[in-house]
Amino acid sequence: MSRSSRSLSRRMAVAIVAVIAVFGLFTVRLVDIQVVRAETLKEDAAAKRVVEVKTHGIRGDIVDRNGVVLADSVERYNITASPRNVSLDGFERRTEAGETIKVDMMDELAKLGELTGQKAADIRDILAADPESDYAIIKKDVNLETLLKVRDLKIPGLYDEMVPSRTYPNGAVAGNLVGFIGTDGPQAGFELTEGACLAAEDGDSTVAISEDWVQLPGSRQVVNEAKNGGTLRLTIDQNLQWYAQQALAEQGSALGADWATATVVRVADGHIMAAADWPSVDPNDRNSVDASSLGARIFSTPYEPGSTIKAATIASYLDAGTTTVGEKIIAPGQYTNGLPSGSFIKDAWAHDDLRYTTAGVLKDSSNTGIAVLTEGVDAQQRHDYLRAFGFDQPTGIEFNGESSGRLIPVDQLDSISNITQQFGQGMTATSAQVAGLYQTLGNGGVRMPLTLVEGCEWEDGTVTDVPENTGERVVSESAADATVGIMENVVSQGFLKPILDIPNYRVAAKTGTAEVADSSGYGSDRIVSVAGLVPAEDPQYAIVVTFVKPDTMKTSAAAAPTFNAIMKQVIKTFRITPSTTPAPDIPLTW
Amino acid sequence: MSASLATQQRPSFRPDERSAEQYRHLEIAATRAQKRARPKIVYAIVTISGIVAILLGQLFLSIVVADGAYTVASLQGQQRDLEREQQFLTERLETRSSTQNLIASAERLGMVASGNPVFLDLDTGAVLGQASAAGGSLAASGNLIGNSLVDPSMVIDPEAQAAAAEVAEDAAALEGESTMSPGAPGVNIEPESVSSETESSGPDPLPSPTTR
Repeated sequence: MSRSSRSLSRRMAVAIVAVIAVFGLFTVRLVDIQVVRAETLKEDAAAKRVVEVKTHGIRGDIVDRNGVVLADSVERYNITASPRNVSLDGFERRTEAGETIKVDMMDELAKLGELTGQKAADIRDILAADPESDYAIIKKDVNLETLLKVRDLKIPGLYDEMVPSRTYPNGAVAGNLVGFIGTDGPQAGFELTEGACLAAEDGDSTVAISEDWVQLPGSRQVVNEAKNGGTLRLTIDQNLQWYAQQALAEQGSALGADWATATVVRVADGHIMAAADWPSVDPNDRNSVDASSLGARIFSTPYEPGSTIKAATIASYLDAGTTTVGEKIIAPGQYTNGLPSGSFIKDAWAHDDLRYTTAGVLKDSSNTGIAVLTEGVDAQQRHDYLRAFGFDQPTGIEFNGESSGRLIPVDQLDSISNITQQFGQGMTATSAQVAGLYQTLGNGGVRMPLTLVEGCEWEDGTVTDVPENTGERVVSESAADATVGIMENVVSQGFLKPILDIPNYRVAAKTGTAEVADSSGYGSDRIVSVAGLVPAEDPQYAIVVTFVKPDTMKTSAAAAPTFNAIMKQVIKTFRITPSTTPAPDIPLTW
Repeated sequence: MSASLATQQRPSFRPDERSAEQYRHLEIAATRAQKRARPKIVYAIVTISGIVAILLGQLFLSIVVADGAYTVASLQGQQRDLEREQQFLTERLETRSSTQNLIASAERLGMVASGNPVFLDLDTGAVLGQASAAGGSLAASGNLIGNSLVDPSMVIDPEAQAAAAEVAEDAAALEGESTMSPGAPGVNIEPESVSSETESSGPDPLPSPTTR
């Protein structure tokens, strides 16, 4: 090769080597940055520019069967300040004209106080409490309007933060069921027990932001999606619930009763249309009632229900075949068979031997008649019937604080309680359980589990927690229908007819005036109830009204006007057409 | 040629070197085919300028995207504000729809409770049920079921509403004459301003949403 071409190729070689060397250097550097030190470099960069953003999930609403909102999630705002950045002497502000004026801080605090309802001096105390801190809360839970006005004041050092909050637009209507949320979280009712449906999950994501706090495009990385809670749909009709609560409140205060309940149940599926308590808490204001009324006594407070249980007794005996509707018996003034000497069972009115049919015993509510009919019916069998009707066990709603009531165990029965349980003394039950009994009787003897929740509706359209709709037969259809037919006579021929009757409608009802036990036996207090079904020829709704320990009137006539009013409202709400057939005649005496 | 060769040539001592030097200074004119085969500079320019154009394009796009980020941020802020307003208004609506407020408003409007349930059968035209006189209040002794969110200023007051509607009409007519706001609000807030004027002791009307 010639020298020139050798030097040429040498120079080329040198050049190539140089290129490869530089290329190799770059590669090494690249590998070093991208692979070896990647993690630490990423973290450093993230620390400078990446911010964690929390997205709030929204707690689900509670609505009634028509979608009326009973509990709603809203945003509230805390007005906060950074005392370090607030100068209590005053600050300078540029006006629109462009000039700078000195603003007195106390003036501004006074303006702020007008909006938040605080005194300027109090606000200043909050700011002065810890001058070095970065965070002090001036006012909690203001609404959007107030927030916007506070922001318009443009006081430097003043900030705000959003807090999710809860509001109850209908106040105390269904307040006993919905419950409320306190500072530590849900405290009562469905707010407490339905967290699986209602609760939301916050999500977080990271974003890279620029120096002027603008999100860099495409830099959002979602770590967790926020999950909103589902909407809890109740079976309650909100308007009917209000009406029932109002009726209870009016009559309850007039009677001087301790408390009262009203339940309306749809017979066909056991859905509760109204579960009214009086007094009932307004979840917006927990101090509206005293602490014992914060829950739902309908589910939580059992009592001796009294004669309303006689319907269960008669239906059981008819089903068991131990009696018939027309069986003729003699009800003594005082019943002493099998009781210890000196003890007797008597009726609410004094009488000599009365010639009742079984129907008459129920219609006139004769305790001694029940005692006669109970003779020879096995105690275990009677106990099983009462349990099948839903007594002595939970309703299945699992309401917060729910009670199962109590039946005396068979082996603990004495000769008196053996009989008195059959007319509702000696046993205890909640108002809900009594309503369940009448639902069963109205449904041809098939008990449907009481239901308060229709379902939990999620954003994607799925519905969960839909209750099962399987019933259990307790008594035969003929026994149930016969019992309802007898109870119709309470309204059509009883002494409460003027109050209970609704023209053109066939109504079945049973009254109850239960004695209340205190430490020394039964006292003078009473628990008065009226329970019934409408329309009697084909029951659609069961209604139970109870007043506990009224002062002014202690007979079941005290509950009758409220029962009538609620029944009329049920007819109007659910468009129950008048009855077309007259009530059949049933022999009551012989 | 020989003259230039004579001045340029240095005395050479080896025959091949001489011829090599001779050849070194010979310009070989390229043939047309060779000229055509030569790599054209146009391609290089096109390639380089293409690369430059791509880089410039990338730069431009990232500027636009970054600018878009500001627009996005501002719109997101607007959306959040509007969502808050909507929620606030929904809350207000629900409170005013509460049974307590409806009862009070119904009474104020002079409505009375109906009596016995009575039905009109549309097929036969028959009246079912026994009518009784309507009258009295649904809540005989006043509504007893509390709601701390409702205050008396929320009640629908027909006279105040009529007066406020007149005022709003006049104001709208005036505004329509003086300013032509292009494409402005699909949101008509007049009903809100009517009801807010009935609340003489209530809160100020909400700020109206502004859109570009």
